Amino acid sequence: MSDQEIAVLKRALQRERLARKKAESILEQKASELYDTSQELKKSNLALQSLLREKSSELKGVFENLVDAYVVMDLFGNVVKMNEAAEDLLGFRMEEEEVNLMSMAHPSEVDRVIQAFDKLMKEDSVANFEVRIKTLRGESKTVHINASLIRDEQHKPIAAQGIVRDITELMQLQKQKEELLESLGRSNEELSDYAHVVSHDLKSPLRSIDALVTWILDDNKETLDETTLANFDLIKQTLEKMEQLISGILEYASATSMDQKMLAVNVSDLIHGSIQMLHVPPGIQIEVDSGLPQVMCHPTKIQQVFQNLIGNAIKYMDSDAGQIHVGYQERDSHHEFFVKDNGPGIGQEHHQTVFKVFQSVSPKSSSSGVGLSIVKKVIEFHGGKVWLESVPDKGATFFFTLKKDL
Amino acid sequence: MKGIVFTEFLDLVEEKFGLMTLDEIIEKSDLPSGGSYTAVGTYEFQEMLQLVTNLSAVTGVSVDDLLMTYGEHFFKVLEKSYPHFLEQYQDPLGLLSSIESHIHVEVRKIYPDAELPKFEVLDLTESTLVMMYRSSRALYKFGLGLMHSTFAYFGEKAEIEAEKIEEDGSVVKFSIHKI
Repeated sequence: MSDQEIAVLKRALQRERLARKKAESILEQKASELYDTSQELKKSNLALQSLLREKSSELKGVFENLVDAYVVMDLFGNVVKMNEAAEDLLGFRMEEEEVNLMSMAHPSEVDRVIQAFDKLMKEDSVANFEVRIKTLRGESKTVHINASLIRDEQHKPIAAQGIVRDITELMQLQKQKEELLESLGRSNEELSDYAHVVSHDLKSPLRSIDALVTWILDDNKETLDETTLANFDLIKQTLEKMEQLISGILEYASATSMDQKMLAVNVSDLIHGSIQMLHVPPGIQIEVDSGLPQVMCHPTKIQQVFQNLIGNAIKYMDSDAGQIHVGYQERDSHHEFFVKDNGPGIGQEHHQTVFKVFQSVSPKSSSSGVGLSIVKKVIEFHGGKVWLESVPDKGATFFFTLKKDL
Repeated sequence: MKGIVFTEFLDLVEEKFGLMTLDEIIEKSDLPSGGSYTAVGTYEFQEMLQLVTNLSAVTGVSVDDLLMTYGEHFFKVLEKSYPHFLEQYQDPLGLLSSIESHIHVEVRKIYPDAELPKFEVLDLTESTLVMMYRSSRALYKFGLGLMHSTFAYFGEKAEIEAEKIEEDGSVVKFSIHKI
């Protein structure tokens, strides 16, 4: 072998040796990188496992502590998982029995359950489905169900889940409430009819008495003395008062009849309407604030309220320079109105009783004693309040409120 | 450039021209690596350029022919190292047309720093494929050699025309017709 060949071989060997060392060092480095990466992976794997455990335990907690019954079914309606609330409601245990959705449907509801299950499969969810079921203990219950499909990562449906709420009691209460309301409506109607009948029946004997008294007077005008005539006059006045009282009963009974609809009305129009219906003597000034609101109410009823309050202020006015002021103040949730006068005022001891039926404070014969009680009844019907402030001899102010969101 | 391209090149030179020629071209080149390569290393492209140029000077074979021959040889390396990869293809045009969209995507997963040429498919029919090659390395002849071997692998034949769009060979249009 020539020297040259030996030199070439030596160089080739040297190159191979260097290449091997280089490769070893690169591989060493790669191995170390791999080790590091594997350590990192191990760490994150542990973290993920712990997160998974944590989430699983959270989910298990939610599942078990859910107050409502939670049921998971396969796509054929076989119950595959349920929580304790569901076991209580449906009356069986997963470990003991295999149960299908259809076996829980009340016989009369089978068609609706099939339809709802079809809808769930087609539309992914069923909301607010109320249905009667028969539990495995044989009880009939009404339940409210919200259900949805569970899909896998490929979006393929794999199961269905539902929250089932027992509304049996709620439905019974609802039914009771409806029955109660209906019976209440009937009693109210009967009461109103009764008031009409009574007032009519009471008025006719009154009219007969009135006619008889008139005849006796006409027949015996010449022979009766002053005292007797005066007594006859008193009888007639009492009869008139009686008639007013009976009319008052009727008026009070029909004060909140529901014949009329709630409307948005301009209060200013109502007030001016009621003033027109009243006889205002020359010595009395009525001032009405401007800028009154529109309110939702039964217009004729509220007009009647203003008419009664302003009418009272006029009726009992004892001053030659009578002042009546109708005003308004806006409150957060209410409209507040007032009717203020400079009449005789009302003593503190009467502030509550004036609103009671037939509790007229005044001896005036023209008072039926129902006006303010009608006011109170109408205002309360509108969700408002009525009260008064007064200093005797200085006047009285009647306040009332109307709810804004009627 | 990946080390395997160098080690395979040196093996081929030694096989075809002998150890003396291999030693000569290494000694003639100014190589930062000293001509000592490992398949798992990465080296300057400049070193390959010098080796090929010097081999051409020593043997009198043109650089283009040397690169094409090397390309034909290099396919065998791929066949040996990645057989399952080639098995995914039923025909040569299917393989060649998915260099950019599939093969290079996978290569980058293993070698994120690999500097790869671009192969843009301009036209593909049952029997023809037109692709635009783009690379600052201008190694289209190497690519041509790989293409020939691809057809040989599938037992098929083709006429491959390489039209230089840029004079330096950095952009070349390949028109491949199956025969």
